[in-house]
Amino acid sequence: MGTENVPSSIVQFAQLDKLLNLGRANSLWPMTFGLACCAIEMMCTGGSRFDISRFGAEVFRPSPRQSDVMIVAGTINKKLAMAVKTLYDQMPEPKWVIAMGNCAISGGPFKVKENYNVVEGADKLFPVDVYIPGCPPRPEALLEGILTLEEKITGKRRWPRVHAG
Amino acid sequence: MTVPISLRHDETFVLNLGPQHPATHGVLRVILTLDGEYVVKAEPVLGYVHRMHEKLAEGGTFAQFMPNTARMDYLHALAFNHGWALVVEKAAGIEVPERAEYIRVITVELNRIASHLLWWAAFLLDLGGFTPLLYAFDDREKIIDLLERVTGSRLTYCYMRFGGVYNDIDDEFITGTRAFIKRLRSRMPRFYHDLVTHNIILIKRIKDIGIITPEQCRRYGATGPVARGSGISYDIRKNEPYSVYPEFDFDVPVFDECDSMARYMVRMHEMEQSLRIIEQALDKLPDGPVMGKAPKVLKPEAGYYYSAVETARGSLGYRLICDGGKNPYKLKLRSPTFSNLSLFGEVAEGMLLADALAFMGSLDLVIPEIDR
Amino acid sequence: MDIREKTQIALALLFPAAPVTEGPVVAEGADQGTPPPREPGVVIQDFPRCGSHLDILCRPDQVVAVAQIMDTEGFFLESIAGVDWLEKQQLEVLYDYNRLGGEHCRVMVRTLVPRTEPVVPTISGVFPAANWHERETFDFYGVHFQNHPNLIRILLPEDADFHPLLKDFMP
Repeated sequence: MGTENVPSSIVQFAQLDKLLNLGRANSLWPMTFGLACCAIEMMCTGGSRFDISRFGAEVFRPSPRQSDVMIVAGTINKKLAMAVKTLYDQMPEPKWVIAMGNCAISGGPFKVKENYNVVEGADKLFPVDVYIPGCPPRPEALLEGILTLEEKITGKRRWPRVHAG
Repeated sequence: MTVPISLRHDETFVLNLGPQHPATHGVLRVILTLDGEYVVKAEPVLGYVHRMHEKLAEGGTFAQFMPNTARMDYLHALAFNHGWALVVEKAAGIEVPERAEYIRVITVELNRIASHLLWWAAFLLDLGGFTPLLYAFDDREKIIDLLERVTGSRLTYCYMRFGGVYNDIDDEFITGTRAFIKRLRSRMPRFYHDLVTHNIILIKRIKDIGIITPEQCRRYGATGPVARGSGISYDIRKNEPYSVYPEFDFDVPVFDECDSMARYMVRMHEMEQSLRIIEQALDKLPDGPVMGKAPKVLKPEAGYYYSAVETARGSLGYRLICDGGKNPYKLKLRSPTFSNLSLFGEVAEGMLLADALAFMGSLDLVIPEIDR
Repeated sequence: MDIREKTQIALALLFPAAPVTEGPVVAEGADQGTPPPREPGVVIQDFPRCGSHLDILCRPDQVVAVAQIMDTEGFFLESIAGVDWLEKQQLEVLYDYNRLGGEHCRVMVRTLVPRTEPVVPTISGVFPAANWHERETFDFYGVHFQNHPNLIRILLPEDADFHPLLKDFMP
């Protein structure tokens, strides 16, 4: 259930893959790609109150070559679209993308009939793994998105989901 | 201090301080022509987060634009809400009850402190210090909790309506704000000034860096802490008062050194002055309704209207042209950071690259506000 | 004499034929989509009602002279905006001048150009702030500023071939 999302490599391990995925999931290195308002909530998640460091993801790398996951936080423009695609291509495999916020999911509040400049969603440029709705989403929502990505990588959720009611 | 260098053009190279960079505070691209580490020419390229706000204003009604105002400068979103509410109330002749004015001032000043805290954290992150970010975000979370109680949002507030605010504040907000004022006042000397402001590394990195003369400020239209750090005493809250600001007793910090250190000190002192305003507003808060009478479908009288508010970055202007219909005919947003950044090319010539980045951090840029 | 009167007298010299009048810029019941009809001249405005002290309507070739007077009097350029009056087939360029500190005075300067051939001389020689503002007006409306040092697009991609804020533009 988990390993199908990791692109296949020339050398395949069996049980070792599970261990590698556990390592990858628990130490995701995000790329600092804060474009607009959602970037501030991403910074708040890195702060001491919400503490993304508990999940191993506090090492925000400026360079795409050193990162695993690109958190697209903000609106993508037609002027910026090529740069975003280049950054995605520069990330080494295995890589994942989290679309954070309504603008990255579908263009958000800017998906109107007068739209001449906003790309309506990050998934128009490259495949997205996790979508986090909100404008901007709360830091807890971003943490839930990271946990969902971990579940996608390893196949099991980190700890039991708390259901209401 | 900018060092004059001889420009040997055959030895220069072009470096792209690209749209993706941890120090550009958003998506700003600067095309730098460098001679070794000295900047020969710096040309900012904008438009990477242009989100068509002016076109969207023409496409919807006046009330439908209020959420957009918060997305422009998301760090001081309530001031942007306030400016839009002011210009439409001016155009339509709507009266605002006094309690609503006081609530507006309290929330706008709390947001100003939050904006300056985040500027402080990001500025020091650019210079290489990570710890101040954790302290600043701790205080900022307290402000966000207070504002979330009354407005419902953490960052992009849509709290003001034409005629007042949509939700009243309660006693828990008032006691929480008073407790926060006490807490920030007690933390400022130790965590902010002892650790950072008097730190020899910070002083060496930003003293005498990025000199902006008052004449340059006037020629480029720079306002806000950039102008006040160059000796110009211009604050819309004092020079062109709006809302209930004339009722409060506060100072406008002005420093004459014109360098990045002066702009830093202006913002630190502004936080203290905002605390004073909030205290006085809480003491004088009257009772009454929080929403005035406004028609359901707003059709202001045709004309040219302007309103200016003081945001954390400078003077924000809304130039509104109404034609008697229910949509604005034209809205021009005068963004303070747009004018502040336009002097970057001239001032950064001859600086070291590291100094140019420290100077850019002291200008307090929020790129979605420039690009609108 | 306060700064508003001083500026008003200095600017009225550019319009010897028109007397200085008072009153709102738009007549009651203005048509939608047309600029308010007026002769070039100086109009004193009601500041609490509309936010400016003076309104000047000038011809496009007078724009630089007005900017020089404002520079001598110590104003700064706050913003430049464009307006598209579709029905009258005119574009309007609106300059806002303000004072940095001291006594407050906001002056609005407007000029009208035909929509098919919008050409206005640049004031970036007088106010360097106009450099970026004029690029933005060109970007949004297609107004061509003569003798501008670098009139290229600023917010849209450089290869865009449309001017988005024109009223008849729909993507």
